[in-house]
Amino acid sequence: MTTTLLDPTGELDPVHRQPLAKPGSLDGLTVGLLDISKARGDVFLDRLETLLDDRGITVKRYKKPTFTRPAPLTLIQQMASEVDVVVEGLAD
Amino acid sequence: MQDIRELDGRGIPGGYIASDVFKTAALTQGEAAGFHPDSLFVPHPIQDRTDEEMAALAEAAFENVLALIRAAP
Amino acid sequence: MQLPEGLVAVVKQDCPTCVLVDPVLREIETRGVPLTVYVQDDPAFPSVSRIVDDRELEHSYRLDIETVPTLIQVADGRETRRVVGWERAEWEALSGLPALGAGLPGYRPGCGSKSVEPGIAERLTLRYGGVKFAAREVVLGALEDDIEYCFERGWSDGLPVVPPTPERVLRMLAGTRRAADEVLGAVPPQHAPVTVTKVAINAVMAGCKPEYLPVVIAAVEAALDPAFCLHGLLATTWFSGPMAVVNGPVREAIGMNWRGNVLGQGNRANATIGRALQLVVRNVGGGRPQEADQAAFGTPGKLGFCFAEDEATPWRTLGEDRGVARERSAVTLFSADGPIGVADQKSRAPEPLIESIAGTLRAIDHYKMVNAADVVIVVGPEHGRVFDQAGWSKAETAAALHVATHIEGRDLAMGTDPAAVASAAADLRPKFREGGIHLVRAGGDAGMFSAIIPGWLVKGTLGTDPVTREVTP
Repeated sequence: MTTTLLDPTGELDPVHRQPLAKPGSLDGLTVGLLDISKARGDVFLDRLETLLDDRGITVKRYKKPTFTRPAPLTLIQQMASEVDVVVEGLAD
Repeated sequence: MQDIRELDGRGIPGGYIASDVFKTAALTQGEAAGFHPDSLFVPHPIQDRTDEEMAALAEAAFENVLALIRAAP
Repeated sequence: MQLPEGLVAVVKQDCPTCVLVDPVLREIETRGVPLTVYVQDDPAFPSVSRIVDDRELEHSYRLDIETVPTLIQVADGRETRRVVGWERAEWEALSGLPALGAGLPGYRPGCGSKSVEPGIAERLTLRYGGVKFAAREVVLGALEDDIEYCFERGWSDGLPVVPPTPERVLRMLAGTRRAADEVLGAVPPQHAPVTVTKVAINAVMAGCKPEYLPVVIAAVEAALDPAFCLHGLLATTWFSGPMAVVNGPVREAIGMNWRGNVLGQGNRANATIGRALQLVVRNVGGGRPQEADQAAFGTPGKLGFCFAEDEATPWRTLGEDRGVARERSAVTLFSADGPIGVADQKSRAPEPLIESIAGTLRAIDHYKMVNAADVVIVVGPEHGRVFDQAGWSKAETAAALHVATHIEGRDLAMGTDPAAVASAAADLRPKFREGGIHLVRAGGDAGMFSAIIPGWLVKGTLGTDPVTREVTP
């Protein structure tokens, strides 16, 4: 059963939570690549890492223990303190 | 996808990549979670591809990957 | 609403009078009058043949049933007359049947209808009453926790808020007679319009009871008065936030605190009224810390700062000072830092007590600064007694403090070369502007203290002035 709430705001924003705005440029930023541990995902991310690296963009690699569950809190906290943007993959 | 939502809540924008069989599931999950992260879908299947094929997929997707983490100019 | 012809009775099994008249209903049916019985709880209860299951209470709601049994006479599909409870003469008149209910007493009152039970009434209004709120509906995803949702959307001040469901907001709106879509003004910095409904939604989130809503509305109205300078107060790097002081009969009616720990936690009205105002600033106005709100430190009072004055003293009340008669209720909004305590457990006469309080007053904001903030002084009962016993009025006390807080000219140079300071003129300058010292009585009985609450550094036409608004039901 879904809950309905009444909007307490000035209603200048969209009703639902929007994803954060992306940075205008990746210069000086660190991209986190999060491997969800499904087969072949690492190869895909390896290639992305190389492509980013070729463009001089700093990359950090992460891997969660299993694709069946959300990433452990410690990994989330670590990523949040070490990266500026994130790409997660590869779900299949 | 929950991970992207969690990181978004901690100030880290981004998105996730999935094979296209995930499109419907992603929509449903987004509705249930009340949050639709940016996503990119690549051609299915994935599991049986060779390293070269995976690399090629990554190359083909790269511009769209950038769109997950960088605002359009 | 099209009703069946003849008679309609609305009953519930859980009502002794309905049980009493069940044989009468059967008798009416047996004697040939068309009769339909709507039952609110147990469809197996009435012993007639035409029964409508009204456990959803839709019919009871639409028929405006307050008491069961209610007997309604219907002609051409519409109600012509009704009687509430059992009364033989009335029932005979409606049914056209003489000598009804032999052996029964002539009269029995009914019981409350299920449709008007607290909680249920609002639900029915929402379901069948075509209620339209002056606010967007937000439907949560099936997996979303409602309290977490409010956090994630940024609606919270850091503490959990009460999720504003339509039912809670409807109940809150019943706390005022003002129209739900009445616009009170536009809240800075976004200048979005704020309606009574938006105030009610944020009041729900703050944890207010419906009877607090008129006070919250008055506080919002005061905050939106240009003289209060809400935008400036929000945007300042200084500590201050809004502080509401409540006067009049409403204090007691809603159970506010003006006694022990008056500036602290523990009283629902004090805590939630102040909080509701700040939530309106945050959510309707869009004013948030480290964004439009540039306070370097802020204060714990920015979660909410509201208390009531003790009006059982010889002094005029703050409300009276501000032009509101004692019998009427009002909110006065000040800008406020956190409280600074003045301990004087020795003075038995006003003069030394004045000097004690003045000593701390001279140092607020900066010990060499004059014409800085206004100040609210909450005079505790023990200090108040010193003034009362000497027959000093509030006005006399404030005047004495004004004089005692003059600073010599050569004290005024802040952080400058000592030689330059030494040569500056030694004339006396007032620390506070005329009318800049506001006295309020409140606090616990034990403790020979008063509380000094400085306001925003920027005041008057360039900044903030206190604003008073009457509380209207």
